[in-house]
Amino acid sequence: MAEKKIGVVACSGEECLGGTISRLAVRKIMEKDRPGVTTTLCLPLFIAGDGGEREFAKNYPTISVDGCSKCCAKRAIEKFSAEVSGSIDIEAIIGKELALDAPLSTRNLTEHHQKMVDQVSAEILKIYDSL
Amino acid sequence: MKCLLPCNGLDKCAGLVSGQAAVELSQQDDFELICPVLLNQNKSPYEKILAQGDLVVIDGCNTRCASKLAQSLDLKIKDKYNVSDVAKSMDLKLGKDLAVNETTKAVQKALVEKLTQTEDKKEASTFEMTTIDYDSFMEGKFVFKVPKQGFFFNENDCWVYVSGNSARIGVSDYVQQNLSDILYYDPPEIDDEIEQFDDCGSIESGKAVFEIIAPVSGRVTAVNEALQDSPEWINESPYERGWLVEIALTDEVTEDLEILHDGSSYFEYLKKKVAQDV
Repeated sequence: MAEKKIGVVACSGEECLGGTISRLAVRKIMEKDRPGVTTTLCLPLFIAGDGGEREFAKNYPTISVDGCSKCCAKRAIEKFSAEVSGSIDIEAIIGKELALDAPLSTRNLTEHHQKMVDQVSAEILKIYDSL
Repeated sequence: MKCLLPCNGLDKCAGLVSGQAAVELSQQDDFELICPVLLNQNKSPYEKILAQGDLVVIDGCNTRCASKLAQSLDLKIKDKYNVSDVAKSMDLKLGKDLAVNETTKAVQKALVEKLTQTEDKKEASTFEMTTIDYDSFMEGKFVFKVPKQGFFFNENDCWVYVSGNSARIGVSDYVQQNLSDILYYDPPEIDDEIEQFDDCGSIESGKAVFEIIAPVSGRVTAVNEALQDSPEWINESPYERGWLVEIALTDEVTEDLEILHDGSSYFEYLKKKVAQDV
């Protein structure tokens, strides 16, 4: 596993369930699976150009976690900073139909959704371990 | 219909609240949700609903990512909310922790309530102003105008014009020139009691947010509703069409005015201030 800091950018999209899952999976990595190593980069802040998000992604390996195949997070990183060190497309993991379902309020989170979060975070960890 | 554009940030939990409130509201018929990251990438999926509805921005914090995104795409903001400000008004503090807890739930609930409230009927303005004569001076390519008579100014560059027991408040030409294109006016509430030098709303451009500092004390009786659709009036006519707030004055108005600049005094003060800025 890489010892240095790794950036993770969730699309956190509001267009579909995949965006909700991306946010929850990245939080799980940061809070439970790889605390201390993980730096989450806020995509809206990244796009706005404030803060040090863009600079961080230029200098540290950064993984994009996109809710659907539009890949907003990956595209933003590559537009404003550098090539991503790894990318996740949740649509490819949980299937298009589920990924494109309506976005979810966390108060309505079910065990089924939690399993999707675990599935996605496991894929993110594989990239971590390859860096 | 209202089109909700939350910042949906992952930097602070205020971003989380903005997104969650927007998702909750989008279950209702009157609201459409706009994904900020998709909007940034491709405006076209939202063009139809943006043409039909009013854009309401929900920023998590004062970085104002959602507002900046709307501005960068030339979208007209009809109304806006700031999650951190809502929390502050409830004496609650939202930290960096992204977890949902009682505080985030309470702020989300308050925000949803604010967004679903039926707008109170605003009192129509009956205020009358006389024709205004201006003094002006030039610094570089900028011309600064100051009314000769009837206006008083504080050193925060906000003006007051008194008529009987009422007064109208606005910002000076210097403010609008510094801010450049003003994109949004956040007014105080009708019936707010304001002390001299209290905040009474704000105006915002792509450059900065400017807090309006009340030159006099009073109770808010009207706000310039036309600025919600035409905030550029503050740039075009800061002393006339671009007025901001009307108030019913208190008995202390004479004392309030004594510590303000009149037109000629502010003119000299502003000349020095502008010279120092260069």
